[in-house]
Amino acid sequence: MSAVLTPPSVPTTAPAGRFGGLLRAETHRLRARRFIQVLLGLAVLAWIAVTALGLLNYEKATPERLAAAQAQLQEQVEQNEIGRQQCLTDPSLPPDVPVDQLCGPPMTAEDMELSWFLDPTPYSLSEEGPGGAVSIAAATAVLTFLIGATFVGAEWSSRSMVALLFWETRRPRVMGAKIAVVAVATLLVGVATQLAWLATAGIWQAVAGDGVPLPDGFWSEMLATHGRGALLALFAGLLGFGLTNLVRNTGAALGVGFVYFAVVESAISGFRPTWQPWLLTTNAAGLVVPGGLELTIYTDEIDTQGNSVVIEHLVTNLQGGIVMGVVTAVVVGVGVVLFSRRDAQ
Amino acid sequence: MPAVEMHAVTKTYARRGKSPQKALDDLELVVESGGVHGFLGPNGSGKTTSIRVLLGLIRPDAGEVRLLGRPVPSGLPDVIGSVGALVETPLFFPGFSGRRNLQLLAETAGLPRTRVEEVLETVELRDRADDRFKGYSLGMKQRLGIAAALLKSPQLLILDEPSNGLDPAGIRDVRELIRRLGQDGSTTVLLSSHLLTEIEQVADHVSIMARGRCIATGPVHKVLAGRSTGDVRIRVPDRAAAAAVLTAAGYAVSPTADGLLVSAVPAPGEITRVLAEHGHYLEELTPVAADLESAFLALTAEPA
Repeated sequence: MSAVLTPPSVPTTAPAGRFGGLLRAETHRLRARRFIQVLLGLAVLAWIAVTALGLLNYEKATPERLAAAQAQLQEQVEQNEIGRQQCLTDPSLPPDVPVDQLCGPPMTAEDMELSWFLDPTPYSLSEEGPGGAVSIAAATAVLTFLIGATFVGAEWSSRSMVALLFWETRRPRVMGAKIAVVAVATLLVGVATQLAWLATAGIWQAVAGDGVPLPDGFWSEMLATHGRGALLALFAGLLGFGLTNLVRNTGAALGVGFVYFAVVESAISGFRPTWQPWLLTTNAAGLVVPGGLELTIYTDEIDTQGNSVVIEHLVTNLQGGIVMGVVTAVVVGVGVVLFSRRDAQ
Repeated sequence: MPAVEMHAVTKTYARRGKSPQKALDDLELVVESGGVHGFLGPNGSGKTTSIRVLLGLIRPDAGEVRLLGRPVPSGLPDVIGSVGALVETPLFFPGFSGRRNLQLLAETAGLPRTRVEEVLETVELRDRADDRFKGYSLGMKQRLGIAAALLKSPQLLILDEPSNGLDPAGIRDVRELIRRLGQDGSTTVLLSSHLLTEIEQVADHVSIMARGRCIATGPVHKVLAGRSTGDVRIRVPDRAAAAAVLTAAGYAVSPTADGLLVSAVPAPGEITRVLAEHGHYLEELTPVAADLESAFLALTAEPA
């Protein structure tokens, strides 16, 4: 008979949780942050207010209003002609100067736009839609910057970031989950605000629009602008996150942001105008504005005729995207590396 | 397999404008599995730094660290699910309720929500679990920290000053809980505390830290035995006469409030005999037991 020896039982140890669990927890953490809820609530209120203000300030171009505007336009043309005739009969006119130069050319109805005589004016989706999307993208960038900053700032101020390392010791994973959640959340906010703008513009157009058919290619340009606006929201959110993760304090990150935008960029524009194409705000605008941002840069150089040399520079959508992407990646990346290497106190 | 192993671990903190500070100096520490292991030391002796090194929060400059048999930090992810820790003050989101804070941690580790309710029950915080963390008293915060440490049903529970801020009843409950966990056979508790009585009451083993080194380690009774005083406290009807007899017999005697203290007595029975020979009969003879405090103070005293 042989004895069977069983080794002493060693309790099996449990590894860290899965990445999915970390992602879910981070998502819940972000959604439960009160300040983020307040920011999103304020954004919704602002959207309602803007939509309501638009409805109060725009009015549809009804046939009656168009007829009245047409009559005003015609009256303007006639009054202009009366004034011109009086000018032409003035005996004091110098004979050697062309009369059109003294009394102006004859005015026709085509020289004026009917909308000038409509008050309130109707909303024009074709003319104002893309510009509105750009404005919304700028406002959303501020919102997502704050969301990214306060999300990670709260972790540092409560030192929950350190407590989390008792549960997941792989720091790049911890940071990766947070970055992924901020990226998705800010992108969703960007998409939501662009959709909200589309809804607002649609409501204005339907209720108080000019009724003008949209030009060919309008929707493709509009959708592209929406997409780039959402991308800017993502970059801004990650920048807020990355900057706050570097300085480990929301207030300090906002201070750094303010100093950069209010002081550094102004100083660069004043003292080194040729650097303007590489500023963050320039590239953020260049990313979203349809066709890119045209810059007119007045340099310190003087040409042969004694005039200041002016440079025209187009910050393309692509340049804006690359510059914003690289800056965001560097700021976030440095924060991740430092978090992974530094002692967690 | 030891739950904790630290061999030749050194950690020096660089300090701006000051000379570097050696927090751990060739530290050797082994905590065997099972039971409660007390971790004693004065402030700045390196206890918290040791715990932070164990949990991978800070990197040592040199040395080997193993937790539940795995090297730290590379093997930590394999075992961290079996390690619960409360280090210094509990770290939670102040705006979230106690329950939500625990639920988020449970979610991170893939634990069921029922486990949250269990640990809330264990630390008797269920009634206040929906209150915001920032509204908790210090004791309640500490209880929540212990609840978080217990959430993973850990094989190794590291508690750094768990009685901080607790009222007497809370302290008693926590000690009872630690004692219970230490006796369940599957949990090792590493209890860092400056309360010597706490260690004395609940720990089976103790390691004493001073100046970044472990200067004594072993079962509590052995550490105490190594520091035995050999003093004897006696009570007799005529203190003055008895003192004279003992002094004449070569003993060092000093008066106490209600008797005499005889120092460095190799055999207490001799005292009984000497006094009886002179017609003095003892009412009481008590060897003065070495307590952990005396041992601790003797061990951690700064070298001259």
